[in-house]
Amino acid sequence: MKVQTRVRTWPWVAIAFSLVVALALSLVSPRDDVQGELVRIMYLHVPAAWLAYVAFFITFLGSVAYLLTKHLRWDRLAAASAEIGVFFTGLTLVLGMIWGKSTWGIPWTWDARLTLTAIMFFVYLGYLALRRTTDDQVLRASRAAVLGVLGAVQIPLVHFSVVWWRTLHQPPSILRPDGPAIQDPLMMVTLVTGVVAFTVIYASLMVKRIELLHLEEQLAEIERSTERPVAGEAVVVPELGRNP
Amino acid sequence: MTSGFWHQVRAVAHRDLLRERRRGDVLWVTIPFGALALLLVPLAIGTDAKLLREIGAGMYWVIVMLFGVLVAVGKASRETQPQQDASSLLGLDPAAGYVGRTASSLILLLAFELAVGAVAVGLYDIDLLGVGWLVLTLVVVALGLALLGTLTASIVNSTSAGTALVPLLVAPLSVPLLLGATQAYDGLRYGHTIVSWVLLMAAVVLVVAMIGVLTARPLQES
Amino acid sequence: MTEWGWVAFAYVVGYVSFLLYAGSIAWRSHKLRRAIERAE
Repeated sequence: MKVQTRVRTWPWVAIAFSLVVALALSLVSPRDDVQGELVRIMYLHVPAAWLAYVAFFITFLGSVAYLLTKHLRWDRLAAASAEIGVFFTGLTLVLGMIWGKSTWGIPWTWDARLTLTAIMFFVYLGYLALRRTTDDQVLRASRAAVLGVLGAVQIPLVHFSVVWWRTLHQPPSILRPDGPAIQDPLMMVTLVTGVVAFTVIYASLMVKRIELLHLEEQLAEIERSTERPVAGEAVVVPELGRNP
Repeated sequence: MTSGFWHQVRAVAHRDLLRERRRGDVLWVTIPFGALALLLVPLAIGTDAKLLREIGAGMYWVIVMLFGVLVAVGKASRETQPQQDASSLLGLDPAAGYVGRTASSLILLLAFELAVGAVAVGLYDIDLLGVGWLVLTLVVVALGLALLGTLTASIVNSTSAGTALVPLLVAPLSVPLLLGATQAYDGLRYGHTIVSWVLLMAAVVLVVAMIGVLTARPLQES
Repeated sequence: MTEWGWVAFAYVVGYVSFLLYAGSIAWRSHKLRRAIERAE
């Protein structure tokens, strides 16, 4: 019997194309007056950060949609987006640390945006950890959806608190973790192309990740319909003194 | 100790690691929790780079002591009563069970230390001095915590207090490990000798290992 | 490290980790499709 889930190859093509284009432009664009070649790290870091926020916003939308409609497709959307979001948030943080270490000598500057991104990383990592604890599809979907909404709604509060904290404790240095103001038009083109390329990558990954979720459900469905008792269940504490 | 003993040790360790691969408690819960704790501290006490570099190593080892023991204690390493009965009926040497569980905890603890260590180095900008001694310290601390945690988990096993009790019991007993690790790092920074601290940690490991192996059978039979 | 060294490091980290992640999705899909075909 054939596999029911459709397998698409265009996402991989789109991803490969986007990666090549983004890489080529990053290497060809001019060096920055202030940061020199290090500005090229920005062409990875900024689009990754953009993706991280987009992905978590989609998770929020998916969670709300699931709670309203109870259609599992929204749960799949939320879950796939959360996983991709966690990856790109992690990447954003690592690239930010590489950029910080190379430019300022310190990997982490505790500025508001970086700190907020790190907190978001843990919120959505927790979302993924929660999903792992529940096998039942519907239960997992509703639990995850509530957490997805809670996490997303909390983010503005967290953001505000961190920004407020930062303005009170401004470091007395010239650190500008935001990065340079991009003035050269070719640099701007490179950055925007990077953002577009990463968005294409996100959409393509979403397609494949949701496909993977479909496959998992399909296998679970098959295994449920052919269930056999587990061998280990035969081992029980013998109950003495009772009628068999 | 015959070759059958080590075979059993390997079997137990393999089973525990398989459980971790399925449940992912360490990877998905304990490591993120430790990393998150490291993130929260500077939010509370201040982000001055010099201050953080001073306290970074100490913070890291405290996190390892408090959260790392959860690795040794985690749900993955606890067995239900029927499973334990089956193990003893099959002739599993309780000492081999102890050593096996300790071995799997050691591996998971090393992974925990490395992952959280990477986060600590990034967030606190810690200098990595004397890599050789650092690696040795990581291994000895992981071994000590694994031995302590596994033994304590066996002691607490049948009570209803549950997993929350084990970290409380292990923490004071792990002070020599904490002091040894932090003083070793300080020693590397300021050029003092650290052999005595390493020996202290090794002594902890030896003592707990002996007690764990010798009390494995009495504990199981209780 | 030179500036290009840092850039290269960042790009290697970024691209390799991405390929590993995307590859894991592809690999898991492949394994599941095999498992489904076997089960049916």
